[in-house]
Amino acid sequence: MPKLIIDSISVEVADGTTVLEAAQSVDIPIPHFCWHPALGKAGACRVCAVKLVDGPVKGIQMSCMLPAQDGMVVSTTDPEAVAMRRHVIEWLMINHPHDCPVCDAGGECQLQEFTIAGGHGIRRYTGSKRTHVNQDLGPFIAHEMNRCIQCYRCVRFYQEYAGGTDFGVMGSAGKVYFGRFQDGQLESPFSGNLVDLCPTGVFTDKTARFRARYWDYEMAPSVCQGCSLGCNTTPVARYRELLKTTARQNKAVNGWFICDRGRFANNEVNDPQRPRTPLVDNRESSRDEALDALLLRIAQIEEQYGTGSIAIVGSPRLALEGALLLPLLAQCCSAGALCYFTSQEESDTTLFLTGLLSAERSASQQDVRKSDCIVICGCDPLQEAPMLALAVRQAWRNGGVVYVIGDGIDLPCTFTTVASLDAVPLADAKQPVLICSAANRPDLLAATLKQQTHLKLAVLFPEANSFGAAQLAMAQGAISLERAVASGTIKGIISVEADIPPQLLAGIPFVAALDWRLTEAVRTAQVFLPTTAWVEMDGTAINHEGRAQRFKKVMHPGLPLRGLGPAVHPPHIHRSTPPGGDPQPAWQIVALIIAGLSGERIAEPFSERWKRLRELEAESEGVMTHDL
Amino acid sequence: MEQILFRHNRPGRCVTFAEYQAEGGFAALKKGLSSMSPDEVQQVVIDSGLRGRGGAGFPTGKKWSFVPRNLTGPRWLICNCDEMEPGTYKDRILLEANPYSLVEGIVLACYAIGVRHAFIFIRRGYEQAAANLRRAIAEATAAGLLGENILGSGFSCDIDLHLSAGRYICGEETALMNALEGKRANPRAKPPFPAIKGLWGGPTVVNNVESLANIPYIIAHGPQWFKATAATPEAAGMKLFCISGHVANPGCFELPLGMTLGEIIDGPCGGMRPGSSFKACLPGGASTPYFTKEQWGVPMDFDPVAKAGSRLGTGGIVVFDQQTCMVAATLNLVTFYARESCGWCTPCREGLPFVVHLLEQIEAGQGSEEQITILRDHVTYLNNAFCALAPGAMGPVDGLLRHFEDEVRAHISTGKCPCRN
Repeated sequence: MPKLIIDSISVEVADGTTVLEAAQSVDIPIPHFCWHPALGKAGACRVCAVKLVDGPVKGIQMSCMLPAQDGMVVSTTDPEAVAMRRHVIEWLMINHPHDCPVCDAGGECQLQEFTIAGGHGIRRYTGSKRTHVNQDLGPFIAHEMNRCIQCYRCVRFYQEYAGGTDFGVMGSAGKVYFGRFQDGQLESPFSGNLVDLCPTGVFTDKTARFRARYWDYEMAPSVCQGCSLGCNTTPVARYRELLKTTARQNKAVNGWFICDRGRFANNEVNDPQRPRTPLVDNRESSRDEALDALLLRIAQIEEQYGTGSIAIVGSPRLALEGALLLPLLAQCCSAGALCYFTSQEESDTTLFLTGLLSAERSASQQDVRKSDCIVICGCDPLQEAPMLALAVRQAWRNGGVVYVIGDGIDLPCTFTTVASLDAVPLADAKQPVLICSAANRPDLLAATLKQQTHLKLAVLFPEANSFGAAQLAMAQGAISLERAVASGTIKGIISVEADIPPQLLAGIPFVAALDWRLTEAVRTAQVFLPTTAWVEMDGTAINHEGRAQRFKKVMHPGLPLRGLGPAVHPPHIHRSTPPGGDPQPAWQIVALIIAGLSGERIAEPFSERWKRLRELEAESEGVMTHDL
Repeated sequence: MEQILFRHNRPGRCVTFAEYQAEGGFAALKKGLSSMSPDEVQQVVIDSGLRGRGGAGFPTGKKWSFVPRNLTGPRWLICNCDEMEPGTYKDRILLEANPYSLVEGIVLACYAIGVRHAFIFIRRGYEQAAANLRRAIAEATAAGLLGENILGSGFSCDIDLHLSAGRYICGEETALMNALEGKRANPRAKPPFPAIKGLWGGPTVVNNVESLANIPYIIAHGPQWFKATAATPEAAGMKLFCISGHVANPGCFELPLGMTLGEIIDGPCGGMRPGSSFKACLPGGASTPYFTKEQWGVPMDFDPVAKAGSRLGTGGIVVFDQQTCMVAATLNLVTFYARESCGWCTPCREGLPFVVHLLEQIEAGQGSEEQITILRDHVTYLNNAFCALAPGAMGPVDGLLRHFEDEVRAHISTGKCPCRN
């Protein structure tokens, strides 16, 4: 544990910590471009210069390259260090085009910040600037090489961290070029992280280009709903449009990055065809009319078919708040079935696998990254949950061995194909992780876990809240909709963000749907009430490990300005909500229905064992829910 | 004058294997492998005072001793023949005349450090030298002096010749190792030093051609003999000096270390060209600060040259006469370095072109006083680059500002280059 002094502050850090990190630990900022917590040091940019005034090392040193040692006395404000950093900025600005007004990174650019902070103001170089030809890197990422300051972050991430091979560094001296051999879409499923990593505007999000400045952004900490991993994100919105999504750090979960599938997933939220208006028998109506109609129809169905003829159907993508209220709703309308899953098979496997996952057994993405032995069985992480494949690569980079049972899958690392789990030396491994999905043979899995007590399990569920849905289904004795319908007693379905296949809806006299997606249930519903997408509400999802994570409201729901024609915009009628602004979080609508049916008003969805989640902070590592 | 490396030279052609052997070649190898332990070989080299001939002048035997002992796994020796320093061509002259001393030296070095496999990393343009080395390696292998179980000693050693793709930075030992591994030739961070973690992560020694070629003679004749060939008691051995520029007789000469600059120029070089007088020289290749007439009497050995404010470097002396514009000469040198930067770190990649730009303006008569300040800033702050390329490139600029500031000022005040009409 070396002890050192930085700017007269005493710091004690763990062995191997760099001076830069030691300074950060006591909130002393040191400029840096090439250093990145996930990518480590490179020593390329030279902007993190500090002066060592006493101790085992003396003089100007790069703080990112220097391990902290006992007795070091470091000054970040020494005139010589300040001058060095100023010169580095001057050198970087020699060729930087200074096109901030037309650059999408303007306002969220590290180069801007450190140029201001570094004290370089007047350009002394009078020659011409170097220019590059840009490449078309596909529909998601814009390339503007002239802005490049050669920090090498992009190539270090793309090739080393993510294992991509179609993008790299070419040329030398003043002509270093970061790109592909020829134009073409970046092949890596993690390419979008270049946008987050680039300290200036070489890589910008093409889907959000020229739409807003940093200070216009509506932002909030959120959680990706693309799969069950629950990677942390910061979506960015403006004018009721989800512009882009950036990665948010969570050491236990996604680390610093997210996958492209989660990043470039704006279309559904922004879709002009998205159902945003309450409908009764396909007529637009007000929210109150739709609610009244729903209550009336529920009463009619009960009257006509008797109690127990209604099924309340939630789903593994429904946020936990809504899912928690469904049992009460089922009770209020004397439902014949409470369902969290539509298919019997999904219900069976999800419930079974959830049952295997205790707090000790669950492998987080961090556990996978730290593992020395990983077995992938019956699933394809790169396709189903790309960030888990990236975590597997990090384990492999640290010397871990990766085994795959069966064939036909690809990973961004080298792996050994084995016939069965017996061929894997699990007993020799320190922290083995088994990655599987709902497609696995449950009996074999249980037997293996019984034998290998130190084996951790990472299960890939299909949806963001599969784990939560399964926990509730188990506790409430819920059944699958498939089974409920098969009984023949179900005459009415209230679908709460459920994806119900047409064959289960056929022949059901009454369907009501609450959703923000245009699902089959929404299409057939006699009563429809629009709900908010995850970026339009505060909510909670329980990820594949059983970790509850809070996401916050990023934007108000409403038809994006971009989707408005001159007929409706600017608005000529006074209204208190924006066009398409009717959606409410599903749980609030469910609470209104409950109030309508029973008179009970619910202001807080978390009760009893879930109370602890009331205080869950979005910017935390989340809470494990196994033992709540 | 007694010659060490050049003793086998034949006029106009390369010495043959038979001639080299007949004149005592490979005797040192036999002696070393049959009667000396690896530690003894290493100790003799340490005692000889041999300092690396590639430019930095680090004691060769000491470098070997840094390789950890009792370490399993492969270790490597690399002979650095990527001679790309402007004004330096000694290794080419040596290998075109005699590749055998190098082969013999490499085997002895490998024996001393316990290396099974050595590489010669040779500059792409050195086709004749490469051909000579290929032949020498084949002949030595055929004669049982290289390969499996050399001379029945139980020691085995192979040499691979690797043709560089051709960048100046490949001469930097860690960039060289990256290039050899098939990666971009960017230097690596030190520590870890190559002797601990080098090629493919194994302990690695990188030695210059001339350093290794001297080993057989040190083993054959002993450390005291080698030491005594120098001109001063402090120096050790002979050195290949390659002199170019405005001297009457430019060329590569093997001279005792410690001869003064004046003795070298007036002696083997035959003085300046008719009509030329000495203005300045680069004492040790393009990355060393200039010497002027003031340093005429400085002994050309590592420490005295360093004390006089420059570096002995590779021993590539480039002489300029009174008509040379030192700004233009410096500009020429820095242009080379700006082009040869690997592009890894900011000071080198961006700073050197800035210096080129400043010198271009001054040379074109468009300079200003402020630019002298900026040049001085660069001499200071380019020292904080990732590797030694940028600080080396600023050597001539440093010399220019130290010795020829008046000449720089004259460019600025008159608005033109005073050396041109």
